[in-house]
Amino acid sequence: MELIRVDTKHAYKILREKITSLELKPGQALDIGRLANQLEIAQTSVKEALRLLAHDHLVEAPPRGLYVAELHLDDLKKISGIRLRLETYSAQEAAQHRTPDDLVILTSLCEKKAEDTRELFELDHKFHQAIAQAAHNNYLANTLEHFYGLSKRLWYLALPYLDFLPTAVESHIKLVEAIEEKEGEAAGEIMHTHISDFYQKIKRIITERDLMGSAG
Amino acid sequence: MERVTLNANNESQKKEPLVLGIDTGGTYTDGVLLEYNTHKILATHKSLTTKRDFAIGIENVIAEIDIEDPSAIQMVSVSTTLATNAIAEGKGKRVALFLIGYDPDLIDSFQLSDRFATPNFHYISGGHDLHGHEKEELDLSGLLSKVDEIKRRVDAIAISSYFSPRNPEHEIRAQKAVSSVCELPIVLGHQLSTKLGSVERATTAALNASLLAVLQEFIIAVRRAMEHRGIEAPLMVVRGDGTLMNDEFAARTPVETIHSGPAASAIGGRFLSQKQNALVIDVGGTTTDFALIQDGKVTISEKGATAAGYQTAVKAADLLSIGLGGDSYITTDRKNEIVIGPERVVPLAYLSHQYPNVKQRLQALTKRSWPAPSPAELEYWFLQREIEDESGFSNREMDLIHLLESGPKPVKKLLEKMDVLDQSQLNIQDLWREEILGKSGFTPTDILHIEGLHTPWDMEASQASLTVFCNYLSMEKEAFLKFIWDEIAKKIASAVVHFLTEKKIPGDEVENENLGKWFLTNSLFPHHPHLETSIQLRDSIVGIGAPAQVMIQQAADILNTELILPDHYAVANATGAVAGSVMVTEEVLIYPHLSGDKVDVIGYYVQSREERSEYEALESALENAKQQGEEKARSAALRSGADNPQVVVDVHQEGMDTYRITAKAVGKPRLEV
Repeated sequence: MELIRVDTKHAYKILREKITSLELKPGQALDIGRLANQLEIAQTSVKEALRLLAHDHLVEAPPRGLYVAELHLDDLKKISGIRLRLETYSAQEAAQHRTPDDLVILTSLCEKKAEDTRELFELDHKFHQAIAQAAHNNYLANTLEHFYGLSKRLWYLALPYLDFLPTAVESHIKLVEAIEEKEGEAAGEIMHTHISDFYQKIKRIITERDLMGSAG
Repeated sequence: MERVTLNANNESQKKEPLVLGIDTGGTYTDGVLLEYNTHKILATHKSLTTKRDFAIGIENVIAEIDIEDPSAIQMVSVSTTLATNAIAEGKGKRVALFLIGYDPDLIDSFQLSDRFATPNFHYISGGHDLHGHEKEELDLSGLLSKVDEIKRRVDAIAISSYFSPRNPEHEIRAQKAVSSVCELPIVLGHQLSTKLGSVERATTAALNASLLAVLQEFIIAVRRAMEHRGIEAPLMVVRGDGTLMNDEFAARTPVETIHSGPAASAIGGRFLSQKQNALVIDVGGTTTDFALIQDGKVTISEKGATAAGYQTAVKAADLLSIGLGGDSYITTDRKNEIVIGPERVVPLAYLSHQYPNVKQRLQALTKRSWPAPSPAELEYWFLQREIEDESGFSNREMDLIHLLESGPKPVKKLLEKMDVLDQSQLNIQDLWREEILGKSGFTPTDILHIEGLHTPWDMEASQASLTVFCNYLSMEKEAFLKFIWDEIAKKIASAVVHFLTEKKIPGDEVENENLGKWFLTNSLFPHHPHLETSIQLRDSIVGIGAPAQVMIQQAADILNTELILPDHYAVANATGAVAGSVMVTEEVLIYPHLSGDKVDVIGYYVQSREERSEYEALESALENAKQQGEEKARSAALRSGADNPQVVVDVHQEGMDTYRITAKAVGKPRLEV
């Protein structure tokens, strides 16, 4: 992002957050002029930020106009399938390559208490990022970051009906223990269960409550 | 019949690139539109600076500068006192500073802790020694638990580790860890300064962190104003040493913009006068700034820039600024002596121009003979802008605002109506700071009106005010005016000597204290009936800023030198904003790798901002360091907006087996998107 303009970066950050937290709804039309006025940022930069978001698959650019990318039930399956495998791999690699500094960071993240759901999201995100860092493979970290962004929208969709987060935090602690002991296989398994439990619950909520409408 | 126009001449004429320079001073925001290669000035613009939001004044210049096709502008460059001001007024963001390996007892015993520019600082064990060896293990978990404790109360984090220029490992590890647990922006000491002063480095990092968001907002606002005018061009910001960096760099190193305004003025003075050696004096509305040009360059201060009393490690022009300008307040003090400045007010000529009944009142004052009205009665207060929301103000403040809604009022009347004896009883500092209330009084600008030298506004109001002064002091008008000009010349001449010698010049009352002082005082302000002494400034003075001509000539005479006023000297500061080069300096250090008992040299470390490598032989270390420095400087200059940068590498031995390699890449700004 070094060669990207200051205001573009700023617009990108704000818009990405608005899209992934569903403040901008899937399928919603994006009016560059109006967004630029709202954010008090030059139009060129808003346009450029939306182009970057299209590259992230969070914005769609059909021949006419710009829209927040649609969200389908299908996406849940596709995204979870990839994340399940990559996060598992990430945990295995982390157990192999973690440094003492990585362990301090992971432990510190486990000890933190979130004050609200948004902070809990942040914390979970940070935790998964830290594991990818501990794997010391920047390609893996970048790819995971991309899928995390896509996944976050599904999470937000189910958010009002979620009540299982404390158990997720518990599995974080076990995971760090396995990574510390360099038990790659165990770490992979814990992560696998952690992620697949999560998506199953999300899927149940979304389908039971028909959160994506009949179109989903 | 078909008409054929021969305009081959027009077609072959390549369009000259246009650039827009903007300078935000304490009083005015100046703009100048210039043909880059021919140095021809096409248009200028002046608008009032809005201190509460510098971007407003800049937006005005961008919106109003006279140009037919704004899209032809190929670069916009801004010098701004934004950073200096934000620090002075505490408008920077909240910063937590982590000091790795600093000795708390040492800091305490030398009372250095209030130099850090943030009260929120924390000691973490770790750090290195002079040779880059780890002094103590880095306490990463201690750091992280502290971060967790404070992260909700700050906007940015600064980290400075002991001897980090020799080995930045602890700063880098700390950054990685902190960014893994929170989203706050992080600034590292070694990235801003390769000097060894640990306190200055920490201060610089803390100030930089506090300014990140300030400068980002500013850049976003300027970019938006450019777009509204259809200008798509690189945006540059002037550094404190007068060189340029693009907005990307500026957003990351805002601390480097400290003093960028005066530095741009000096560069503008050189550019317009074409002088390679000169003393540049910039007379603004609020201050007069001094800078020295030697061999075509602005001299740089060895000590690093100071802002609001904080000593930083940032390179900046060697400057002196005094509180004297065209809009300095002229009044009398309690002993009835005339004082000029340092407070800046709106000239009465201007206020009467806006509100004609002010003039009528001033003229009425001249007719009241007994008791003669005092100069204090010339002070007017007025509303600078309407307030949007009454809720944030006290009853007192609202009463005052309501009293002023019908127009400016003499302060004497206001105090009577508010039933207080003295201004200090009102408690209205917020109204001044937020630029809701304005103050008007007699100024050098009024005198320029009286003497017919500069008369855009109401000359009769200025004249009436002068009569009030003279009646009160029982002075002839000519004598009064001469007194004021003499005082201004003395202040400027004294400041020149102070600036060049770094010694304070005593006033003329201490003539008997010692011979040295007497000699200097008699040279600057001759008073001995028989002995004549004199002092001569070798360099010419280049005067810039609107009131320069009138305010500096006499000082130049005292100093026995010539005053040069280049064309367009009134907007030289804005010209300086585009006349600078893009420059990036990269430093690489070489220091020995010592054996465990610190007796033998077993190799040489080559330490740049990002990495450290080791060589067995000094020669290969030097060779590699020079190459690294050159490459890093060139690529940073390119990213920073330079066109075809040229790199000069200097090797400087700093001690036993210790070398500092400085690579300076300089180029003209690249004029395209």
